[in-house]
Amino acid sequence: MNTGIGSVVIVGGGLAGHTLADALRGRGFAGRITLIEREPAVYDRPPLSKAALAEDFALENIAFATTSQLEQKSIQVLTGRTVVGLDGGAQLDDGTIVTGDALVLATGGRARTLPFTGHDAPLVHTLRTFDDAVRIRRHARAGCHVLVVGAGLIGAELTSSLRNRGARVTLIDPVEIPLVPAAGEAFARLLHAMHADNGAEVRVGTVREVIAGSPGEAVLDDGTRLSVDAVVVGAGILPNVELARSAGLPVEDGIIVDHEHRVIDGIYAIGDVARTRGHDGELRRRHEHWEAAQLDALELAAILVGDEPEPRGAAWWWSDRYGVHVEGVGQMTGNGETVMRGNQAAFHLVGDQLVGAVSLDDPMTVRAARRLIDQHIPVSAAVLADPSVPLRSLLRAAR
Amino acid sequence: MAARIVAARVGDVVDGEAIVVSKAVTGTVDDIALFLDDGEYYALDNTCSHELASLADGWIERGVVECPTHTGRFCLRDGRVLSAPATEDVAAHQVHVDGEEIVIVPNPVRLATP
Repeated sequence: MNTGIGSVVIVGGGLAGHTLADALRGRGFAGRITLIEREPAVYDRPPLSKAALAEDFALENIAFATTSQLEQKSIQVLTGRTVVGLDGGAQLDDGTIVTGDALVLATGGRARTLPFTGHDAPLVHTLRTFDDAVRIRRHARAGCHVLVVGAGLIGAELTSSLRNRGARVTLIDPVEIPLVPAAGEAFARLLHAMHADNGAEVRVGTVREVIAGSPGEAVLDDGTRLSVDAVVVGAGILPNVELARSAGLPVEDGIIVDHEHRVIDGIYAIGDVARTRGHDGELRRRHEHWEAAQLDALELAAILVGDEPEPRGAAWWWSDRYGVHVEGVGQMTGNGETVMRGNQAAFHLVGDQLVGAVSLDDPMTVRAARRLIDQHIPVSAAVLADPSVPLRSLLRAAR
Repeated sequence: MAARIVAARVGDVVDGEAIVVSKAVTGTVDDIALFLDDGEYYALDNTCSHELASLADGWIERGVVECPTHTGRFCLRDGRVLSAPATEDVAAHQVHVDGEEIVIVPNPVRLATP
């Protein structure tokens, strides 16, 4: 099917934006593709809380593509440029207007800050960009004391990386055991306990105030005063909706899109910034996961060239910390029962249907589980609990 | 003449899985992963081009291997990278079945210099 789209302008060169450009070429799209990114490069973010905290790690290591790869694919990339308006195309900060038949907003999110007193002090950091990682590296050397606020994926990985750098770390979160919905209670507990096992001081609570200084001081909600060299807040993201809002597009904690990623005719939004309105009219939660951004882009690439997108399965995520690779798929809480497979994996079942799985250093179990979930293959708790039965064999048996 | 390496025997590799053939055997700069997918053998450099991971431990399906750590995907036939977070191809090696023997002919550009 010819959709009549001859050129595509993508605002934002994170995972969603770059994947879209690449996938359009992969589907044979021959028109002009312009990718506009305000950062100095188009790069992948997950390593920022891990590998990028090593001293000699360079931005090139996480670039999605080299300049010559982008040239080869005829993807025009404008880095270091901000889009300031959407009148008649993407208006750049230097006055240029880039026009296209399809305009795609992949503006992502920025780190959420917390409203404690002194949240804007120079020793308080967030982690969203490569520059943020470099700044944290500079302020969190061996022997420094760092307070990490928030024990979600970013805070947990950061704590692991900082311990690896030899920094002393205090990790604080308002919840006793974070990550329960994704990892299930047993594994969430196990994962959270790794922080203390690896020498971090773990607290339940919030930060009341940070006082600048060298070292500075953090005051916790229970009155505890900690001498700190740096504070890093990992409290999730806020979607970058300002451009869309100023252009009069529908915005509500995200840019509102339909099930085909369309905001209005000719304008689309994908990745962290997009929020889907379902057929029922209800707004879904934004998916702030790496693979969700990738899948948005792959689907939109198909739609823009008139192909049928592949159906999307259960959501998948991963985390690397303390040398352990964790991954999960689907939901580990809610109706149903949780089944443990030794200490390596856990499953969540509703009747004979698998709805979630999580594993430690056993990724193939989760890769099999996601296919069992997506193909609705019936399973039994007894078989799942038996580590001697490879999950892949259940898929084969069903063929 | 290109080296002819007897990497395994028929039956050594289970369909849908892979074995690692050590670079000490193949004389290459990286170990080689020998895959069997739907009755066809394939051989690629074993180390994912993204971060350190063994592709032989990956998910093998319909001519594609998915890295066990971060799901970067590679074409089993030619090693072409098919999806992020990997951005670079991995080298492919020739492989054929000769009677009961599975023979790898290493990609000359991946031979270790003696």
